[in-house]
Amino acid sequence: MPHPNDDFIAGLVDDLKPARPLQQRRGMGWAVAALLAGALTMLWLRGPRPDLAGGHPDAMFLISAGLFLVLTLASSWAAVDMARPAVGSRREGWVWTALMAAVLPVSAIVVISGNLSQGEDSGVHWGGLECMLYGLGWSLLTAATLVVWLRRGAPSNPARAGLLAGVAAGSAGIFAVALQCPVNALAHIGVWHGMTVVLAGIAGRIALPRLLRW
Amino acid sequence: MIADEASLARLAALSQRGDRQAYTALLQASRGWLNRYFRRRVMPWQLDDLVQETLLSVHRKLASYQPDRPFIPWLAAIARYRFVDHLRQAYRRAEDDLEDHDLAAHSDEPEITARISLERLFEALPDAQQRAIELVKIEGLSIAEASQSTGQSESLIKVNIHRGLKRLTALIEKA
Repeated sequence: MPHPNDDFIAGLVDDLKPARPLQQRRGMGWAVAALLAGALTMLWLRGPRPDLAGGHPDAMFLISAGLFLVLTLASSWAAVDMARPAVGSRREGWVWTALMAAVLPVSAIVVISGNLSQGEDSGVHWGGLECMLYGLGWSLLTAATLVVWLRRGAPSNPARAGLLAGVAAGSAGIFAVALQCPVNALAHIGVWHGMTVVLAGIAGRIALPRLLRW
Repeated sequence: MIADEASLARLAALSQRGDRQAYTALLQASRGWLNRYFRRRVMPWQLDDLVQETLLSVHRKLASYQPDRPFIPWLAAIARYRFVDHLRQAYRRAEDDLEDHDLAAHSDEPEITARISLERLFEALPDAQQRAIELVKIEGLSIAEASQSTGQSESLIKVNIHRGLKRLTALIEKA
């Protein structure tokens, strides 16, 4: 017996075109390419920080930039995977990486509180705002890349996808900035660099879902 | 006939390569699965539209299926997304209707539809949360009016709305 939806299905079948499955590694390749493009552009425009140029980078730079790099990769991986929906998928790994990176701002708050309680300078200066603004500006490259990728797929939770894209973009942006920022103070890195990721995550959570609905 | 998971995954992979016969079989099997999935969630007259909308999403987003993964969880995620979107649209229409009391050609159908769908989910909420959401989010009372009507404090009304909506969202996500 014909079903009332048979004509509808026949129409969809007529319209069928081969569809290349979205591969996780291809999406991740896009994200890494955006990260590298941002970092290289930053180095080309502003030059590397002196210790990096001299081949003897400071430990604080290596640890903090490394954390932001790993956070970029982990959150990009989770965001890219969200283009391929499936009930029951768990994408929680990035949370542990984010918690690891959160050690920086939390430690900064402890250090700042200690400084202030001793009557010393807090260690946080408005000059750091420049790092944050550059970081947010540079984050747009990764954000745009992930949005284009996600729109090709079917993110079934646009709010979560927006948050992940925002965190990935913010950490990619501040990683690029860290390559030229000469400051090694924990207060500066924890507050200004850490805030970049937090703000980008909030912006992604608020602004991106409307671009990701389908 | 209800196709098994392995057959559906194979049909989906063939469909991605442009095999129309496989695609026809896949869409027919998906239609059966979607009918069963939505029948417990929406009113009978909404069923066909929602199944068609979801099949259209399956068609548009076929590339997001991974041939090495099971097919049903993918279809279920698409169906859940369309169901949440359907509820959101019905709820928004109900809110718009509440704001447009003076429209001459006023129809109660979208509002009723939204309420029936929500009431099915409401059954899983404690009474206090149901009542707070019902009064403020559906009937449009202020927090103060809802507080007077229920005897709950204003802050408790806010907490119950927040917790209830959070729980509803979780229920839909798990559905």
